[in-house]
Amino acid sequence: MINPHPGLPELQYVKPATLQEASKFLADNAGVAKPYSGGTDSFVRLRDGILKLDYLVDIKGLEGTKELSFDPQKGLTIGAAITMNQVARHPDVLKHYPNLAEAAESVASYQLRNRATIIGNICNASPAGDTIGTCMILDGVLKVHGVDGVRAVSLSSFFLAPGRTVLKPGDVVVAVQLPIPPKGLVGTYKKLGRNRIGDLSIVAVAVLGYPTPESASGYRFRIALASVAPVPFESFKAEGVLSGNKITAELIDEAAGATMDSVTPIDDVRGSARYRKQMVKNLTREALTEVWTKLSK
Amino acid sequence: MANAKSKEQVVNPIGASFTRNDVYEKVTGSAVYADDIQFGNKLLYARAKRSPYPHALIKKIDISKAEALPGVKVVVTGKDFPNRIGLYLQDKTIFATDRVRFIGEPVAAVAAISEEVAMKAVELIEVEYEELEAVFDAEFGASDKAPLIHPDLDKYVCPNFIFPKAGTNIANHFKIRKGDVSSAWDKCAYVVERSFKIPHIQHVPIETHIAIAQMDEKGKVTVWASSQSPFAQRNLIAHALHISQSDLRVIAPLVGGGFGSKAGVTMEAIPVALATKCKGWPVKFLLTREEEFYTNFVRQGLTIHVKVGCDKEGNLLALKNMMYWDGGASTEYGTNVTRAGGYSSSGPYDIPNVETDSICVYTNHPIGGAYRGFGMSELHTGLDQAIDELAEKAGVDKVTFLKKNGVAEGDVLVTGMIMHKNGIQECIDNVAKSLKMNEKEKPSSPDRLRGKGIAAMWKAPAMPPNPGSSAWVEMSEDGNVTVGLGGQEIGQGTFTVMAQMAAAALGVPYEKVRIAGPVDTQYSPYEWQTVASRLTWSMGNAVVLAAKDARRQILETVAEAWKESTDDLDIINGVVVSYKSERETSLENIVIYGMPKENNEGWTGGPIVGRGSFMPKYVTNLDAETGQGPRAVVHYTVGCEGLDIEIDKNTGTIYVLKGAASFDVGKAINPALVKAQVEGGFAQGLSSAMFEEIKLVKGVMTNPSFVDYRIATAPDMDFPLDTPFVEVPQDDGPWGARGVGEHPMVPTIAALGNAIYDATGIRLTNPPYSAEKIYLAMLDKGLVK
Repeated sequence: MINPHPGLPELQYVKPATLQEASKFLADNAGVAKPYSGGTDSFVRLRDGILKLDYLVDIKGLEGTKELSFDPQKGLTIGAAITMNQVARHPDVLKHYPNLAEAAESVASYQLRNRATIIGNICNASPAGDTIGTCMILDGVLKVHGVDGVRAVSLSSFFLAPGRTVLKPGDVVVAVQLPIPPKGLVGTYKKLGRNRIGDLSIVAVAVLGYPTPESASGYRFRIALASVAPVPFESFKAEGVLSGNKITAELIDEAAGATMDSVTPIDDVRGSARYRKQMVKNLTREALTEVWTKLSK
Repeated sequence: MANAKSKEQVVNPIGASFTRNDVYEKVTGSAVYADDIQFGNKLLYARAKRSPYPHALIKKIDISKAEALPGVKVVVTGKDFPNRIGLYLQDKTIFATDRVRFIGEPVAAVAAISEEVAMKAVELIEVEYEELEAVFDAEFGASDKAPLIHPDLDKYVCPNFIFPKAGTNIANHFKIRKGDVSSAWDKCAYVVERSFKIPHIQHVPIETHIAIAQMDEKGKVTVWASSQSPFAQRNLIAHALHISQSDLRVIAPLVGGGFGSKAGVTMEAIPVALATKCKGWPVKFLLTREEEFYTNFVRQGLTIHVKVGCDKEGNLLALKNMMYWDGGASTEYGTNVTRAGGYSSSGPYDIPNVETDSICVYTNHPIGGAYRGFGMSELHTGLDQAIDELAEKAGVDKVTFLKKNGVAEGDVLVTGMIMHKNGIQECIDNVAKSLKMNEKEKPSSPDRLRGKGIAAMWKAPAMPPNPGSSAWVEMSEDGNVTVGLGGQEIGQGTFTVMAQMAAAALGVPYEKVRIAGPVDTQYSPYEWQTVASRLTWSMGNAVVLAAKDARRQILETVAEAWKESTDDLDIINGVVVSYKSERETSLENIVIYGMPKENNEGWTGGPIVGRGSFMPKYVTNLDAETGQGPRAVVHYTVGCEGLDIEIDKNTGTIYVLKGAASFDVGKAINPALVKAQVEGGFAQGLSSAMFEEIKLVKGVMTNPSFVDYRIATAPDMDFPLDTPFVEVPQDDGPWGARGVGEHPMVPTIAALGNAIYDATGIRLTNPPYSAEKIYLAMLDKGLVK
């Protein structure tokens, strides 16, 4: 049966004054309450009936959620209420984390990005989330406020399954912190949709690279893949290929092949598993070649 | 006072690219659409209970719980409205009665004080079904193995040019038998046989369907609807409700896109049905986007088997078409789509031997209706790709092949009709020149393949033989002109073009002409429907006649007052001038009060009202067995399109470098609007070629939203598009004009398919030609690793 979607179900809107209050309310109403920031995913899912809630807990305005700041020692902090457009046009982001701006700008439309947040994109935990991969390979760490206080959660261990994370009832992600990027870092985001803009990715690849004496090749690459595994996925196998030997076109091919072998995409309405596998390889090759060209300039 | 600075019209309104007369309201947002109209706190909201099954018997409907819900005003079901309706084949009821035939078919409806209450009430309606075996494939549906979807087909009423086959799922079988196809194959040096499957697609107007209905105490019904066909709706809904047409009034404000989906009657009947049960209360029904996708008219799917052959020199000799149309649960409109696909099945080519079977099949899919250029995009997608292949086989370059076989004045068409003068040669030349079709050009990078494709097309207005148009022209004291008409402004610019025609025919500046809107069947003159690219031609003729009638009345008034002959008088820039006496007078006041006769002899004239009506009278029926007859259609608009593309070898993504589209419009009344129509149609055609498909799995649409039903966006259309038009006049068109509203999306899929073939050597038969399809085909062929 297809849902004709007349409107939203009945909901209570809750606006707590403090993080403590928010965490307590969310914990007391586990399963029927959810933090709400931009709402661009929540409202669609509520209307679709996929998400069933009694309460939307507005976290905008809670301490730390409106922070967008850069510290030369600590790096970038993006609060949970900061929209994608705010991130994409912030001078420090453009200067130090241009790849995050690029990924943010690939999301849906400008109008949607006036509401959508990076934290929301992360917490929604879709394997297709456009900004997740870049945050992950920038070694992003989430600041989570729970009933027991504040803790840090690395993005590399945050995702469990499509739509599922390590967050517990009562948890509010206050911000994501991205450390100072390595010197000489360059990167790119390759997104393949069915048409030119506004689509969810069939496959997307985020690649970062920087020179480092610690690697045999003299460079380190980070590769994150979207829409090809149950969770946003970093291909350590391909990264390993690129750290051991002198970077050549052949090595890039080999690394791209390794990404393909390491993923298990599915057939869905946006694309087949067969096409996705091919695209992981080709987009990774394209992205690595582009990053390598920038690095070797 | 009168001031005819020159004896020439300052700007000739015909052929001038005036700014649209609806631009201000639309750009500022002040334009009124149906949902903007306020009805106060008596307004009720309607929701429909819909079938969850593709095919099932209705065993029982229990509405008692829904009726008991506070806030519910009325609940109706199929038993309340048993009359069958339909534009061509009357096979549909407002609500399912004994059985449901597609997922989303309305079974019952509720009117309540709020949308939320209506929705809850819908959930409380209990329907018991017995599921039946369903039909999801047209070819299977046409076979004797398929379960019957309309066992009562023999009882349905239809016009004498539709041929249903009782005891089958075939709602119309249109045949062409021209020449002798079976013996012609032996004379062919080259033959191509190909099958294509064209998917269902949706119109996706930005304004979803909406209608508000209210019945007064005396039983008179008013409907406000986003509509392409207020008059056809009046007729069909009145018929369904057994009320007089004159007791049904349809008011049709501006339309936020129709593309055929708002022609005929679809959801509009539902609020009317509800309104009849709660006199005095207005009932609004607005479709959600999801309902717009899966419950409304779709462009029906087509499976087409083409066999086409030519002689050694590339002259087409024979064509055989087997078309199975996936008509869906009702074919009330779709039967005529398949008829159009049949009587135009040769395309714009002169082919002596043609055999066509265009078969409209009931399935348990959404209902096929009108869709911009209906039947023709589907037909040409198959035909023009097969012809592309045949040209290559014959070793004739594709442009030469199209021109050599292009239909010319005097040719005997597939139906036996004699072709009129047309500009297909110029259209093909324009596209070939624009895209340098004779040059093989290099791709911009080694990662890309480059190809060019061209396809010609034709299309006739697809309609009954005698659809009428009418118009009136009135004037106000200030000399301004108001044109009454019944055709709809659905974005195509028809109100602007009609104002230009009225201005030219009357002799006033364009700025002096207003259109009386919104169209209201109580006051507006009759118009059949805003479909078929027929308004410029048909309504245009009516408007010109009305304007000329008003002009005659004005000249007679002045002639009598001045004691001159009308032969010596003219109207230029809104001023009546005499070439004899060199007197002049403005139209102000005299068009209302008339003029005093000289020497105080009284008055002449009076309020000016011009009237005009037009109806084609020469179209004949065609023989049921051969499809032959003297005149199948009013005329054909011909054209050609081409694309120069690159394909990314890494992803299969298409990058269009340039497009070209040339159509013979007879006369471009407003060249900027012609260009806009061609650009819009090209974009819609390309969107359907690359992205669009209703994905149906066992009758369920799996992509009923813009998330997964992708349409082209501006960045997808970011390429130069050349649109030179050709003007070979139509003998009975105003200033020679004929329509071009639908045509620009007709050949686009074929042109793209031919370009993909040119780039890759791969013939992709089944659109949409997505990046994935192209890439995987290249992979299978070893073009990429």
